[in-house]
Amino acid sequence: MRTSVLPLTWHLARSSGRRGLQSQLLAAGAAAVGAFVMLVMIAASLGSGTRADHTAWRTPQADKHGTAVQALATTYVRHEPLTVVSLAQLPDRAATPAPPGLNAFPKKGEVYVSPALAELLHKLPASQLADRLPKVSSYGTIGAAGLASPDELVAVVGRAPTDPAMSKAAAEGASWFDGGQSARAVVSGFTGTKASMFTATDQAMALLGVVLLAMPVVVLSSAAGRLGAARREQRLAALRLAGATPRQIIAMTAVEAAAVGTAGALTGALAYAVLLPALAKIPYGVGSWYTGQLWVGPAWFAGVVLAVTALITVSAVSMLRQVATSPLGVAQQANPRRTRMIRLVLFVGALGYIWVSTAGGGQLKAGQLLALLIIFYGAFWLFGPWVVDRLGRIVGRFARRPATLLAARRLSDDPRGAWRTVSGLVLAGFAAGFFSVSLLGSDVSQYRDQVAVTTVGTAEARQAATEARTLLNRAGVTATVTVGSEEDFDSLLGGSPGVIAHVTGGTERIDTAVTALTPVGSGTLPYSQDYAGASDRTTTDRIAQASTATLILSFVLATASAGLTAAANVLDRRRVYGLLRLAGTPLRVLDRARLRETVLPLVALAGGTTAMGVYGSYQLNKAAGAGINTSGAVELVACLVLGALAMFAAIGASRPLLRRVTADPAQSAD
Amino acid sequence: MHSVLAGHGLVKKYGSTTALAGVDVEVRERDSLAIMGPSGSGKSTLLHTLAGIVRPDGGQVLLRGERIDNLGENKLSALRRKRFGFVFQSGQLLPELPAEENVALPLMLEGTPRRQAVKRARRWFAPLGLDGLEGRRPGQLSGGQAQRVAIARALAVEPDVVFADEPTGALDQATSTEVIRLLTSVTREQGAALVMVTHDADVAAHCDHILHVRDGLISNYSQYTVA
Repeated sequence: MRTSVLPLTWHLARSSGRRGLQSQLLAAGAAAVGAFVMLVMIAASLGSGTRADHTAWRTPQADKHGTAVQALATTYVRHEPLTVVSLAQLPDRAATPAPPGLNAFPKKGEVYVSPALAELLHKLPASQLADRLPKVSSYGTIGAAGLASPDELVAVVGRAPTDPAMSKAAAEGASWFDGGQSARAVVSGFTGTKASMFTATDQAMALLGVVLLAMPVVVLSSAAGRLGAARREQRLAALRLAGATPRQIIAMTAVEAAAVGTAGALTGALAYAVLLPALAKIPYGVGSWYTGQLWVGPAWFAGVVLAVTALITVSAVSMLRQVATSPLGVAQQANPRRTRMIRLVLFVGALGYIWVSTAGGGQLKAGQLLALLIIFYGAFWLFGPWVVDRLGRIVGRFARRPATLLAARRLSDDPRGAWRTVSGLVLAGFAAGFFSVSLLGSDVSQYRDQVAVTTVGTAEARQAATEARTLLNRAGVTATVTVGSEEDFDSLLGGSPGVIAHVTGGTERIDTAVTALTPVGSGTLPYSQDYAGASDRTTTDRIAQASTATLILSFVLATASAGLTAAANVLDRRRVYGLLRLAGTPLRVLDRARLRETVLPLVALAGGTTAMGVYGSYQLNKAAGAGINTSGAVELVACLVLGALAMFAAIGASRPLLRRVTADPAQSAD
Repeated sequence: MHSVLAGHGLVKKYGSTTALAGVDVEVRERDSLAIMGPSGSGKSTLLHTLAGIVRPDGGQVLLRGERIDNLGENKLSALRRKRFGFVFQSGQLLPELPAEENVALPLMLEGTPRRQAVKRARRWFAPLGLDGLEGRRPGQLSGGQAQRVAIARALAVEPDVVFADEPTGALDQATSTEVIRLLTSVTREQGAALVMVTHDADVAAHCDHILHVRDGLISNYSQYTVA
């Protein structure tokens, strides 16, 4: 019989008819979505690491036997960071190797720019950008090896070692706002390991997304495995009667589920591979990607396909085991899957433990953080079904319409199932809700319309002020120039000596002022509000981006889960639905009930945690005297509305299936 | 007694197979009619045609003298909901609803407020021997109890006709007798007519009339005098 399992499975799968095929297609579709989402998130995480590595060469690695001076500086144009790496070969020293992306070490007066910067230099007037760099007849191009993203603005400038831009003073950074945007050292090569500030947190944030999405992918794959439980139950009964052993039936189910899972997961993985160029266009952090950065490699590729397939197979077999052990229990759901109060107690206990563990304020190790994250996640998985159960009972008690009553009873009947569909959105919703409207970090809005230049001392500052007025006047910028006081730590100079130009006009004027004032700082680049807020903003922006991306992908998974579960329920409950229709029950009542089954926990749980996140963030913003990140809020609302609509559409997509499987239930000659 | 439901010259074909070949049938108030016949004889098709589930290719179906076979799908659906009750072999109860809500559901679908619908539904539990089982779910009921809940649900809307398709097909002999007695007596008490398909002669014997169908035609018609 062992050898007959495969051909018999193939024969039964082929002869399972249109409904069997529908189940298999839905399961394969779910596997495809799961594999696709997981590969995309892993790609984002690995790619972020690769990108960070590509920026490490820009931060100089000091070597007392070095051969060249390297200075890193950052300036902003159109609110985007432009990284300027200045290099000077020291005389009488060995030749320094070429930096990544360049063919040779740049000679004095040579300027290499990234393709995106070259485009911008071409687009903007020289007075707003090009004049910040040494004048050259033509720019060289920095290759992909030296860039994290095709959108990055980077310039490599060859200078003399005596150039003010290479001085130690210039390298100390503009002020205490610097946060790693400036650095200088004598180097012997480009072996730096410290990633650019703009890419350093990307991988951690993407990894957080992977962690948050792992469980929804497991849920989706499990749902795919459970699909067609009723059909398998019938098959089990028929085959048992025909003399097959439970082991053979389980083997057949495993083979079928594995085949469907592999086909689906492989389709999803191939879709990921085919869509790589399109995926690479999605900006994250410093911008879009080089396609190769998003390729996860054959090991991850195969690993994800195998993992998704294994999940589906295990889920299908475990479901069959339940059927084999207690067919009536599964088919009729004799006892509602009640949740107990202990879940609430454990949830509160877990949150209490997390609070106590983090209350000390000390730095936690990565392992401890991971453990707390797992506890936090686990706590929600305990708590979620309990809330769904209570929600079902409360709504069931007060429901006035049949559809609401049906939905509420379904929630109480299987709270874990309803929770699984929306679970991914609950945590992602909280994170996205919190960070998308957050304006955390130093508030630098008071520096809007200001451009600052630091000087060596106060005397130099007075001279610089005179020069600045002349330069700004010549550039056509209306501005008031003041000399900064060393005691004034609240100014854009942050207590450093220098001048501040209060510029009238918008972004273009600020860019013009920064460009015009470049010669003033004796090597130190002028800076604006963007520079001052970069450090904090980069971190919060990345978290917000990662949270929103996670929320979007959670919606993709939840949409697939909801659609799949809805279709599976229709197929598994077609008899009762058919008889209800036959007795005159309007199908719109069943449709509404099926929709409300998802809407209720979605609004109560995912909506609730998202609102909690927004409220918490708003209160923190308020305490810091800031408002709300309006664009982030709009993005969040758009994401929520579109995601919810997609979920409802996915559930609605099984409407024709409901009509089809319940149509003409009496079509026989009897 | 007045005719409640009548079928005249009913014809129904499925491709080249003729399920009904011109059947005439009439059911009066409080009457119970059993339709019997071998597999594929057309007995279920006849029940479904009379109940407005299947549209006949020829002939007419009249409910209290009004033609119903030419109504649109929505009107037919509403008619089935309001004026007919249905009892099937099994699997007709929603597993997540307690028994009383299963019975109340058709009333709620008709717009009866939930509290009132449940109150009306509960009235059926004692007469059908279901006292104390109002809160149980179908999975927690025996086969006989589930069928009695289904009968309660069919009668809750106070229908003109109750249609039963093999209502005892999944029950043992003793339970079957108990259920069929209840079905026929309660239906009669409510003033409704009963049309039932069965293959079991003992079950059919509880009805006022037995109609035998073979090859889409009535082959025999018997009438019992029920005490």
